[in-house]
Amino acid sequence: MKKKGLIIALVVTLVAALTLAGCGGTETGGGGEEAGDAVIRIGVYEPMTGDSAAGGQMTWEGIELANELYPEVLGKKVQLFLEDNKTDKSEAANAVHRLIEHHNVVAIIGSYGSSMSMAGGPVAQEKGIPVVGCSPTNPLVTLGNDYYFRVCFIDPFQGRVMAQYAFEDLGADTAVIIRNVADDYAVGLGNYFQEAFVEFTGSEDSILAVLDYQKGDQDFTAQLTTVKNHNPDVIFAPGLYGDSALMIRQARELGIEQPFLGGDTWEAPEFIEVGGADVEGVVLSTHYSPEATVTDISKEFVEVYTDKFGKEPNAFAALGFDAYMVILDAIERAGSAEPEAIRDALAATENFEGVTGVITLDVNGDATKSAVILKVENGEFRYLTTVDPN
Amino acid sequence: MGRIALQPPGFYSTVAKAYRKQPNRWGLLLTGGVILSLVLFIYWAGGHFNPYQVRILNLIGINIGLGLSLNLINGFTGQFSLGHAGFMAVGAYTTTLLMMPPAIKQMNFFMMPLVSPLDQIQLPFLAALLLGGLLSALMGVLIGAPVLRLRGDYLAIATLGFSEIIRIVITNIRSVTNGALGLKGIPAYTNLWWSWGFALLTIFVMTRLIHSSYGRAFKAIREDEIAAEAMGIGLSRHKMLAFTLAAFLAGIGGGFQASLLTTIEPNMFRFTLTFEILLMVVLGGMGSITGTVIAATIVTILKEVLRGVEAPMNLGFISLPGIPGMRMVIFSLLLILVVLFYREGIMGQRELSWERLLGQKDSSPERGVEI
Repeated sequence: MKKKGLIIALVVTLVAALTLAGCGGTETGGGGEEAGDAVIRIGVYEPMTGDSAAGGQMTWEGIELANELYPEVLGKKVQLFLEDNKTDKSEAANAVHRLIEHHNVVAIIGSYGSSMSMAGGPVAQEKGIPVVGCSPTNPLVTLGNDYYFRVCFIDPFQGRVMAQYAFEDLGADTAVIIRNVADDYAVGLGNYFQEAFVEFTGSEDSILAVLDYQKGDQDFTAQLTTVKNHNPDVIFAPGLYGDSALMIRQARELGIEQPFLGGDTWEAPEFIEVGGADVEGVVLSTHYSPEATVTDISKEFVEVYTDKFGKEPNAFAALGFDAYMVILDAIERAGSAEPEAIRDALAATENFEGVTGVITLDVNGDATKSAVILKVENGEFRYLTTVDPN
Repeated sequence: MGRIALQPPGFYSTVAKAYRKQPNRWGLLLTGGVILSLVLFIYWAGGHFNPYQVRILNLIGINIGLGLSLNLINGFTGQFSLGHAGFMAVGAYTTTLLMMPPAIKQMNFFMMPLVSPLDQIQLPFLAALLLGGLLSALMGVLIGAPVLRLRGDYLAIATLGFSEIIRIVITNIRSVTNGALGLKGIPAYTNLWWSWGFALLTIFVMTRLIHSSYGRAFKAIREDEIAAEAMGIGLSRHKMLAFTLAAFLAGIGGGFQASLLTTIEPNMFRFTLTFEILLMVVLGGMGSITGTVIAATIVTILKEVLRGVEAPMNLGFISLPGIPGMRMVIFSLLLILVVLFYREGIMGQRELSWERLLGQKDSSPERGVEI
């Protein structure tokens, strides 16, 4: 009994200590608030842990870097507040709530992953706080939500870009789509590629087959055998980098020589690590490439990022950087840090020169801007061409 | 006579006491008082708490209901089921599809239209919830009939598999569920009255059920199936009853959660969701209503309070940078401590009663003897 009492005491003390430590932490946050209106508070909710942790951390690097380079607007310091959404919908909504209620932020950046953004969106809309997404590409994120914007292009555009590339540059007349059916991104992208490709070729039969697989599948032999029988000109395979790299390896083993095309999720070092020599020649569309520095600020970004992190910047860091810069630009144009004023200024964003290109936000709050096409060569992503929206 | 002699000493007096135990008048009054003050608190909280705190309160209410429904199968009937995420998915999707306004449906299904007549239907929240619960209960019957013949680990694996099947079916029937794209813009009806009404109703139903002849039969099945059958308890009938009722409540809980989050997608309902609820049941004590209520409250609050640990900290003499994921480490440590030293959870199989609280001799029998 004595031992039990001791353990209870231990657990209670631990919990109490943690709770106090937690309060201590938040109090320091409150200390900044006391300084009055000298600080502009911007919230960030990103998946720092969980399935999408890699994406969230890359984005956060970009946001932090932007804050370091441009720490002030309207003569006030900008303070960032990060909340982890654990790659979980419920947590994402809670995180947005906490940013607004607890940290009193005037604008929010996030999140990597469309599903988390869709959970956080309504909360921000209800409270009238504008959000700028970095890389959620699902059209539903901004649809019907006046307070959600994003600095990336959306799936329909990306699907179209790849269809255009396949038709015009590769001269393809037939294609097969293999997609991860459990992933909204892959399903959306596949759909828009199909629509655009049919339009370009002018034939309903140009898509020979649409094949599904599940997230985490290890064996793609069944789908790939079907692909081989159809013998298409190109294979469009939107999905996560791990699954896709594995699939391409198996395809090459089966003797499928046709080019594989994919989307921005493939732009990760792991894609090449897993795929090795088999992913050579794979073509993908993405938001940004350090080799295609389109604006002055992109040059600066590449230099500073390489200096600080000792590696080449990726698209997600660049998008995080741009999301921060777009908000800062809106605050400056609004001349005020009131959420409503920021929202209105954001909606009017036009020809903003960001790292990832020239950004104009349309009626839905989506960015219309150019996409970059990359090709894997000698174990590296190399810049191929830029495609403008039309 | 020989059979009677086999029972441990004091067996019959305990059984007799358990049967004789009637809620005394003071207890009823006190219970009424507690419910009244809870209602007043909810009314007060609705006006004074900020939306973030209200949200946490809502989550607590829903989690209590979900935890209790899982406890009914796992704790009281002793059938280790891991299918809760599947039932919640059925409830959440049915409720959502039935109550969502047609205009919002059209916006969601921009890639593949929703099949008629679902695209025109719009029911009130309560009707949609109940239908969601009923469909989930129907699933419970369908899956329970073959699967409840299994025991222990086999049952756990079969129910886990079933829950994954539901998720994959939802992912693939895109013209009904919108597949992996998920649904957004679900009307946010869930408020404190709904979520706590759900919690209170579940507590009430569970208490009545557990103290009825059905409840005693559930516990008998948990302790020893063969002995229970020998005593004339219909095994499959009672298991099915517990399973179906739990599925019904889980479906309703899923509906509430969908309306609280205002967005759902198949990946929400992975088996990790089941484990989160299982955590509350195990932490509180398998087979204790009070335990589940306490654990659901603590777990839900702790998950948010520990966010502070991840923020950059200033301890006066040293400044620590924020470490994302830290709170899950602490959470896991607490869990390990509890499981190591409190194998039975916070309450074991005990319940709080007024007798116990007011220091009177506890009349509820100890673990193992109670039927």
